[in-house]
Amino acid sequence: MMASPKSQSIDAGGWQRGGAQAVRRRLVERFVSLLCNLATVIVLFVLFSILWTLVTRGAGGLSLPTFLHSTAAPGSGGGLANAIIGSCEQTGLAALIGTPIGMMAGIYLSEFAQDGRIVSLVRFVSDMLLSVPSILVGLFIYLIFVEPAGHFSGMAGTLALAVLFIPIVVRTTEDMLRLVPRAMREAAYALGAPGWRVILNVCLRSARGGIMTGILLALARISGETAPLLFTSLGNLNWSTSLNAPMASLPVTIYQYAGSAYDDWVQMAWTGALLITVAVLATNILARWWLTRNGSAQQ
Amino acid sequence: MNKIIMDDTTGRDTLQPALAIRNLNFWYGSNHALKDISLDFPIHQVTGMIGPSGCGKSTLLRILNRMYDLYPGQRATGEVLFDERNILSPGLDVNVLRSRIGMVFQKPTPFPMSIYDNIAFGVRLHERLSRTEMDQRVEGVLRRVALWNEVKDRLNASAAALSGGQQQRLCIARTIATRPEVILLDEPTSALDPISTARIEELLDELKQEFSIAIVTHNLQQAARCADRVAFFYMGELVEVDTADKMFTAPHAKRTQDYITGRFG
Amino acid sequence: MMPHESVHTVQSYEQELEQLRSLVNKMGGLVERQVAQAITAVVEHDEEAALDAPEMDPQVDELERETEALVIRLLALRAPMAGDLREVVVALKISGDLERIGDCAASIARRAMRNELLSCPISLTGLHSMGRLVQENLRRTIDAMDQRDPELARIVWHSDTAVDELYVSLFRELVTYMMEDPRNIGPCAHLLFIAKNLERIGDHATNISERVYYAVTGNILPIVRPRGKTFD
Repeated sequence: MMASPKSQSIDAGGWQRGGAQAVRRRLVERFVSLLCNLATVIVLFVLFSILWTLVTRGAGGLSLPTFLHSTAAPGSGGGLANAIIGSCEQTGLAALIGTPIGMMAGIYLSEFAQDGRIVSLVRFVSDMLLSVPSILVGLFIYLIFVEPAGHFSGMAGTLALAVLFIPIVVRTTEDMLRLVPRAMREAAYALGAPGWRVILNVCLRSARGGIMTGILLALARISGETAPLLFTSLGNLNWSTSLNAPMASLPVTIYQYAGSAYDDWVQMAWTGALLITVAVLATNILARWWLTRNGSAQQ
Repeated sequence: MNKIIMDDTTGRDTLQPALAIRNLNFWYGSNHALKDISLDFPIHQVTGMIGPSGCGKSTLLRILNRMYDLYPGQRATGEVLFDERNILSPGLDVNVLRSRIGMVFQKPTPFPMSIYDNIAFGVRLHERLSRTEMDQRVEGVLRRVALWNEVKDRLNASAAALSGGQQQRLCIARTIATRPEVILLDEPTSALDPISTARIEELLDELKQEFSIAIVTHNLQQAARCADRVAFFYMGELVEVDTADKMFTAPHAKRTQDYITGRFG
Repeated sequence: MMPHESVHTVQSYEQELEQLRSLVNKMGGLVERQVAQAITAVVEHDEEAALDAPEMDPQVDELERETEALVIRLLALRAPMAGDLREVVVALKISGDLERIGDCAASIARRAMRNELLSCPISLTGLHSMGRLVQENLRRTIDAMDQRDPELARIVWHSDTAVDELYVSLFRELVTYMMEDPRNIGPCAHLLFIAKNLERIGDHATNISERVYYAVTGNILPIVRPRGKTFD
């Protein structure tokens, strides 16, 4: 007599429990997981077809002159050097400006802010910035910076990118700091540590992996932006690293070349697109690697 | 039930206490969490605090190192005398206080740094030691908590890689590294397995030679094993305090008896 | 023993404590009857009673073993605390005392039907009143235990003095008889043993009341019990 009284009260006992209903549930489960797998395949297909297109069309332009020569008139060769350096300079500077501001705002929101009107305002504004169309950011910088100065400039582009950069960093910094367990903060305070020490040596250290990932993702995001640069740094066909002059950048160059009637320009646009994609992808992979490495160290 | 029964036969209360609470009241906002508590923590003894959840025992512990300062809307009145000063007075340097009254928490909370730095962090806050002095301090406290042999080869490895029991011993080492006079423990073994728990209890027994210890625990057997004196709290009141021996064989108050024997409904 | 007013959160624990109480109560009742039978056998030369008392012994022993096993089980599995701890430990000690009382009663009953006693000319009045007093004390002890009444326990504890005094005077009386006529030595020796056993029953009853007092109040009665005159 192995069966307990409980199992006897069910119509079909033992392993047949549930009967037809159980069979139907299994079918539904199989169907839904099939749908999920299908969706994954579609997403991967899209991603790989983009990569494939980029590689097949863009790889042809990958040569030393592309990296060494500036953009030139159609048919006269030339490369993307000015656009690459412009992109690097603008995104790099935007990150340099945006990281401390964003992190400090994030620290303020998570550590110092008591719940009040100002805090919810700051958080609201930051969240709004996160979802503002990037072309509006470009127009905004155009109005407050380019128009008063009278000319387009790399600095304006940098500022526009920084405006896009900051809210992402604010958000990730705040979120990551909030993930630091209260117990760890208290443990640091319990040793007699002043507040700034607790934040700097314990909380930020504990959250650094996540914050770093956020910064890298933000970097990836702004390095592909075209719209905010159109009204700010404009683009420059010649080699220029001056922040005070219009500056070339990969996305803007792609935008200009891709629509042109010249085959070599179109080819160059594909190459630029490939370069950006590879850079963004590399940054993303780097960020993820960082996150998992830090995540596993926490266990 | 406000009458507190003190055991005078042992004569222990006549000793100069490490910490003396006098008429302490505490509020979370409008919630009166502790009601007129008076309690001594004798020097070099383990004082256990027991009671059902929400009875105020953890709250009391967190008053003793002014942890409640971290959160708004909390207020204490009365006196907690420590080294001839009322630690509740607003002018007191809480960072110094916390270095003299250390605290160990329920969950092991190693900082995201190396084993060595976990200990050095607290010491550096209050003292300037040379490299060799610091090395000695770290080794000393790690030996004290019987962790030295387990970690001496990986002092620079992340503390997060230690087991739960080792982490908690590291936290205790970190706490005693600042050379406090009193150690507060808030359910220090509730997240640990029985063997790690036994090690911590053994450690407490040793540490009381040097420190005065206050421990909050939900585990009555643990209070019985570790504590010299036990205080029973119920709904923010101190119902009874006595030697562990008396508390667990013949408590005076009916509520203590009911709680200890598992008759709370 | 009477249960606490408040009930354990763990029902099965409560049931086990209840079981322990009922075991000890049962043993108390059994031993009380055994003592009554033994005294009846001696005083009224009741043969049936004389046979009955020793026959209950194995039952008492069995109850003692059961109690012991349950106490060990409770200590190991429930780790009783405070009042429960006292009650459990005291139950173990009381069962020991009760078992000894049972032995004494059986011993008295075995002597009751000896020919020397049946044909004995000596008055049993002294023994009778001592027997009644011991029986009364035992009954009240067991009542105190049933009702968890520390006051009653304390009264019984004090009243053992009277038993001691009765024993001393009975002893002198019997010694006098023996000196008067050597033929009295046989029956009187038996009567002395009976008296001694009654006195022991009284002592065990006192022990039980001490323990009841401790179990209920948590306080220990003074070590020196008020005693009747002894032969120092």
